[in-house]
Amino acid sequence: MSQRSGSAANQSRRTFVKVLAGALLFFIPGKTQARSLLASPVKVNHLRPPGAVPEELFPAKCIRCGRCAEVCPYRSIKILDIKYGVFAGTPLIDVEEVPCYLCMKCVRVCPTGTLRRISQEETRMGLAVINRRQCITWRGVALCRTCYNVCPFKEKAIHLDQLRPVVDERYCTGCGLCTHGCPVTPKAINIEPVYSFAEKNG
Amino acid sequence: MARKYGNIRFFVQFLAFLVILVNPFLNYYWHFNFVQGWYQSLGIGKLWFVSPLEGLESILVSKTIYLPLLIGMLIPVLVAYYLGRVFCGWICPINFLCELEDRLLRLLGLKKRRDLFRLPKRTLWFTLIGDITLAMILGAPLFVFLSPPGLVGREIMMAVFFHTLALEGVIVIGVLVLNLFTRRFFCRYFCPLGGLLAFLGQKRRFRVVRLREECKECGLCEKACPLGLSPERGENESAYCWNCGECIDSCRFEALSFRWVQEAGGEKR
Repeated sequence: MSQRSGSAANQSRRTFVKVLAGALLFFIPGKTQARSLLASPVKVNHLRPPGAVPEELFPAKCIRCGRCAEVCPYRSIKILDIKYGVFAGTPLIDVEEVPCYLCMKCVRVCPTGTLRRISQEETRMGLAVINRRQCITWRGVALCRTCYNVCPFKEKAIHLDQLRPVVDERYCTGCGLCTHGCPVTPKAINIEPVYSFAEKNG
Repeated sequence: MARKYGNIRFFVQFLAFLVILVNPFLNYYWHFNFVQGWYQSLGIGKLWFVSPLEGLESILVSKTIYLPLLIGMLIPVLVAYYLGRVFCGWICPINFLCELEDRLLRLLGLKKRRDLFRLPKRTLWFTLIGDITLAMILGAPLFVFLSPPGLVGREIMMAVFFHTLALEGVIVIGVLVLNLFTRRFFCRYFCPLGGLLAFLGQKRRFRVVRLREECKECGLCEKACPLGLSPERGENESAYCWNCGECIDSCRFEALSFRWVQEAGGEKR
């Protein structure tokens, strides 16, 4: 009982220390770049897995359980670390490295609904955009049609117009197979995450 | 007196740790996807578990409700309601690592340790409220990406999958270092998940019960308790107790035992 009365006397000081310690605990990641802490890691060719909710909801909804990365058979999904601030632990696909093959396994295991249960066709990770100044076919240098060949929705998402590839945004899922396959450096076809930031574009 | 519960519990903790240790290897090298995740969310076939605090933060911060998430939280919540903080005591990988640390120190002969820093036990509630409020103010679920129980699993997974360790793993090391000064310092005062489970388990049925006639008030149980609770003062009935059974093992007079209490809050005498 003597201990209890002792702690009661120091109550206010301890509460203060407690609050201070708690605050410090939560602001340790603040030492990394302040800008990147709240800036989304989603950008060209760096996309969320299929069925992801809009980016402003994503870090709130995802509980960072990593199950999507564990089931991904192609190792497309990477897990971000604390350098990405509040986005630490969230999944991201770098399509230049490993694209998404749309097996839809991650969608089926997500426990929070951050990745919505959708079909392959409904997937909208982004939109493939051809840079006609880079593309060797469009420039007339060569007759490459790798992006057309690798596209999982050939003739729909990418079709050939006078042997030159054209993307149809009604069908493009943004899986990134075309970007991954593109032989030109820098890539002549890139995935723009146009659906992740609905506010800005809509 | 044989360390009856101590050994059983260590074995259970070891098995629970084995799940998150072996599972990334199974997933990575053999594409064996039957079990995925760790103790933030664990999927065993079609059976999903979601950690209650992570789920709660996800719902509160995103302000959306997803039914599978609620169903996944159901079993952990019911376990916490009836059995108390058994997750902390028997499963949590952080507690397992602390336990390993304790056992290692005991092997090295550094047996006698006093709890150097002590805070009021109520700190746990402040942590829980503070975590949820801060998460809602910042609009980012803090515990979700900084939770030590989840971090252990994520670090193992990162090591296996990407052959690297995430920077936030220093939190785990910090927790282990603090454990050197005060046993389970983080678990006692600063684990929001522990706070939520303690809150849910206030009226738990499964608890440590002290027989007053047998008790000689020798104080051994208080020394044995990793949370620094004293059964002699009735703190085994408080919300903070995580039902590890260390006090039962330490008691020489068999005054303490696990009981299934019938009505909520009622003590059996």
